[in-house]
Amino acid sequence: MGAEQAWVLAAIPAGVFLVLALFGRALPRGGDYLGVAAIASSFALFFVVLADFLDTPGKLGPVVNDIEWSSIGDTFDLRMGIFIDPITIVMFAVVVTVALMVNIFSIGYMKGEPRYHWFFAVLQLFAASMLMLVMADNLLLLYISWELVGVCSFLLIGFYWEKRSATEAAKKAFVTTRIGDVGLLIGIILLWKEGGTFNIQELIHLAEEGHFSQPYLFTALAFIFLGCMGKSAQVPFHVWLPDAMEGPTPVSALIHAATMVVAGVYLTARLLPMFEVADGMLLTVTIVGLITALLTGFMALAQTDIKKVLAYSTVGQLGFMFIALGAGEPAVAMFHLMTHAFFKALLFLGAGSVIIGTHHNQEMDRLGGLWRKMPITGTTFLIGSLALAGLPPLAGFWSKDEIFVVLEHRWGAWAVILLGISAVTTAFYTTRLFIRTFMGRPADPHVYEHARETPPVMTGPLVFLALLALTSGFVVFHDVGKALGFPGGITEFIFLPHHGPHEYELKWGFAAASLAMAVVGIFSAAWMYWGNDLRRSTALANWQPGIYDMLRRKFYFDELYQGMIDRGVLGFSYLVSWFDRYVVNDTGVDGSAQITGFTGGVLKYLQTGRVPNYAMAVALGVIGLAIAGLVVRG
Amino acid sequence: MTFDEGQGYVVLATILLPLAAALILIFTPGTQKMAVRYISAVTGAILAGLSIYIFVAYQVDGPQAQMNLNWAWVENVAFLGPGGISLRLAVDGISALLGLLTGVVAFAGALASWKIEYRNKDFYILYWILLAGVYGTFFAYDLFFFFFFYELAVMPLYLLIGVWGSTRKEYGAAKLTLMLVGGSVLIWIGIFATFHQAGIGTFDLPSLWAAGQDGTISAAAQKAIFPLMVVGCGVLAALWPLHTWSPDGHMSAPTAVSMVHAGVLMKLGAFGIIRLGIQLLPEGAEFWMPALMVLGTVGAVYGATAALTQRDFKLISGYSSVSHMGYVLMGLATMNTIGITGAVLQMFSHGVMTALVFLMIGALYDQAHTRDMKEFGGLARVMPLWVIFYAIAGLANVGLPGFSGFTAEFHIFVGTFRTYPVFGALAIFAAALAAAYMLRMFATVFFGPLNPHWKDLKDLTPIERLSGAMLIASIVIMGVWWAPFTDRVGHTVTLLPGVTG
Repeated sequence: MGAEQAWVLAAIPAGVFLVLALFGRALPRGGDYLGVAAIASSFALFFVVLADFLDTPGKLGPVVNDIEWSSIGDTFDLRMGIFIDPITIVMFAVVVTVALMVNIFSIGYMKGEPRYHWFFAVLQLFAASMLMLVMADNLLLLYISWELVGVCSFLLIGFYWEKRSATEAAKKAFVTTRIGDVGLLIGIILLWKEGGTFNIQELIHLAEEGHFSQPYLFTALAFIFLGCMGKSAQVPFHVWLPDAMEGPTPVSALIHAATMVVAGVYLTARLLPMFEVADGMLLTVTIVGLITALLTGFMALAQTDIKKVLAYSTVGQLGFMFIALGAGEPAVAMFHLMTHAFFKALLFLGAGSVIIGTHHNQEMDRLGGLWRKMPITGTTFLIGSLALAGLPPLAGFWSKDEIFVVLEHRWGAWAVILLGISAVTTAFYTTRLFIRTFMGRPADPHVYEHARETPPVMTGPLVFLALLALTSGFVVFHDVGKALGFPGGITEFIFLPHHGPHEYELKWGFAAASLAMAVVGIFSAAWMYWGNDLRRSTALANWQPGIYDMLRRKFYFDELYQGMIDRGVLGFSYLVSWFDRYVVNDTGVDGSAQITGFTGGVLKYLQTGRVPNYAMAVALGVIGLAIAGLVVRG
Repeated sequence: MTFDEGQGYVVLATILLPLAAALILIFTPGTQKMAVRYISAVTGAILAGLSIYIFVAYQVDGPQAQMNLNWAWVENVAFLGPGGISLRLAVDGISALLGLLTGVVAFAGALASWKIEYRNKDFYILYWILLAGVYGTFFAYDLFFFFFFYELAVMPLYLLIGVWGSTRKEYGAAKLTLMLVGGSVLIWIGIFATFHQAGIGTFDLPSLWAAGQDGTISAAAQKAIFPLMVVGCGVLAALWPLHTWSPDGHMSAPTAVSMVHAGVLMKLGAFGIIRLGIQLLPEGAEFWMPALMVLGTVGAVYGATAALTQRDFKLISGYSSVSHMGYVLMGLATMNTIGITGAVLQMFSHGVMTALVFLMIGALYDQAHTRDMKEFGGLARVMPLWVIFYAIAGLANVGLPGFSGFTAEFHIFVGTFRTYPVFGALAIFAAALAAAYMLRMFATVFFGPLNPHWKDLKDLTPIERLSGAMLIASIVIMGVWWAPFTDRVGHTVTLLPGVTG
């Protein structure tokens, strides 16, 4: 098997999905072992694909299977195929690794839940769709997979459907991303309209040749980018992701931290050569990323639900990835995507471990001091936190540092300063999260008493991901990459055709500044919360209650949107319904019926039933017709 | 008898078999309710088989009209030339697909009516007459018989709704029938005007189509007649603003009638626009299609918006049908191959999907006797299979890839963007509204805590499962592997007059 058969990676979980969905209920243990086995085989096969991809120098580029799908006449010819390049390889690595860890972890986390088999079934469907998404060679297949991962997300967020809040969150996630998808589909069709193809490489080629006019290309890509913003929860579409935390925690780790939410980053990276051609597109991407990173950094400061903190953090880190793309550097974005996937999946699974270990508590106000009770979870969580805060030599440091370098190079110091603020808030809320969960005085002695470490089936994945969070940053170095069989470090592995690969070099000034930001954030949070003592933070909140409230309520985005939906959309719908009932139907349709009825009511008096009247009418008619005939003949 | 003619008898059988079933039922004692059901189920199964055969046997590389059958009926009368009126049947790529739709929905509907106790013999007699009319309209290649079958399909509706319906059934039935008859009058006038203008003394459709294309029917006449045909047919296709029978009619109609009506009958209207509009009056089509595009788009957005705040299941589906038929009209109005192919795919997709929706609504209403969705909640606990079936229909409705709705809407969007990008964008936006109204319904009815009042609701019966499974299979096949559908439809659409590539 070689890279041409990479579709098998997706086919295996897809098949297992069908088995589990149809027969899972009857299988012992809901067939969870089938799910793990499916992802494990995809994981193993990934290395086969990778080896084949690396071994054959000629294949270090597209691997295309061109399958005829459907055609209408001569003009509309749909072809499907798969396309594998370094970006796909990185996505494969992330998806199969995190999916495998999450599947194993779920055996422990979901134990005893109703619909256990259904959970594993949808996880398989998700993995299959996500893998299909990253190897699609055309925008149509990509859009199909894009919608399918959205549905899996909907099904899994709403997994506990007995809870109203879960159902509402699932609906919100689906509809919000769907609004972005309207843009995506419009963009795809606009590109097809001028380009005549859905094939991504052909479209990129056309764009580079100047086939599209500037405003047209910008419009099409801006629509596509709307889809990316929706999927990757960028401001102003970010509101669905924190609510999506209603889903089971393994789902948050897999879908809402490591894989599905990065689909927008992936698509932008995939189309980046086109974005470069369109004037102003990269600046748009950068600004969206910056705004998101800044705002969500502040929103995370005042959250008390550990999963919500992580959710805002995810949104912010996705903003970092978009900033790297806005600087025209897909390699840096994919590097941060990968390290973030590992340490954020670790943090979410760690949060899941806390939830199980404390019998379903996820409010910081009731946690604290858990490190003593849950040593493995605590230690791995610390590793993940420091990686997120960007402390060397953990993975997050290297990828974040690279983003600062390329951002400064492309857009100058102003952007770096803005992003620096976000980096400080990141370190701050991460430290706050760790201290208030794992250190100091237990906020609720009862919860603390009953807390216990989780079983190995859950801590195992934590340890594995912690190792990745420790080491995966080193792939940036030329020698490490070479030792692993890659052609150099990750920035040499992924590159745009006309940029060429560049070897990584550590810029000491940036590294020092980056480290300083992490340290400032960590120490100020430690000073504020040390020992899980809230006196200082409460005093701060009371000093400026307005600002605190604004942060706690996330800059009022939800209130604003709810108002727009209630007054705007639903109001308009009521208006249309009213119009349909009372104007179109009652006046237009029933009205004409009443007029007919009324006319009939009047005219019926013509039917007197007396023969002389009729005879008279007949006579008048004949005379009239005769006169008319004479006139016409004239 | 050539092979082609032999197949022509298969086509004829689709019309004669339901009529024969109706005849047999007339002589079946009304007390034998089970016998009535079995006769109908067998008829439905055979019809579905015949329809599948016709669809599969249609050759994508053959001539446009296949399986020809031509019986002279009336000729050489004063105003009719040789071959004046003939029972001419044939199948093209479009009617092959719509015939398949009819077969699937007719069988599913026959099964869905299993529960009817009140005069079920009379119900099925009318049901099969209606279906004979539907098949006849799809396969007729003669203008007279086209109209004859069209009327045959529309007339039994009044009784079916008026007698077996619910909620304001007399009002719904009367409104529906009167509006449709009003449309028929326009078509009838249009037919005679066309016949007169062509002046070739025949109702033979291919001859008339030729007359329309080579200018025998003058451009001015075509422009004058086209609105009659489109408005007349448009009533049945829920053309905005002549759509208001749809919400009320569906609300009143019994399950199987809703299924067949929304599933198949509404497509007769859109099909009429192809046969009597695009094919017969190409000059008129070219002139008027932009107007139809506007009305179609208004319908698509308007229906989706109105559905957003409805509380009655059937009203949601009624308005959603207005929206989806709006897509069909948009696809037809693009006058390019991709758009029209998408429109025909959408007729099929909307047909099977809506039939499934009404089947599910019926399965609930029969037990709960209310359709106010605010009264439900958490039904996934007591009726899991029902929820899964309904969810599949709903997701197809939303245009989710993997289900037929996406295949159809995708082609319509692409076709519309080709000529009218702004309308295309509006249509895609309406698809997002569909997600909103569908998920709102899911969230309210399927999920959340279970109201103990409904804890005794039963899940789908085996017969409902069979009926639904057939519809789901159709939805999924078209959603996953659409080449067999686009091949057949595209084969015919590329040859339509005035249609660009």
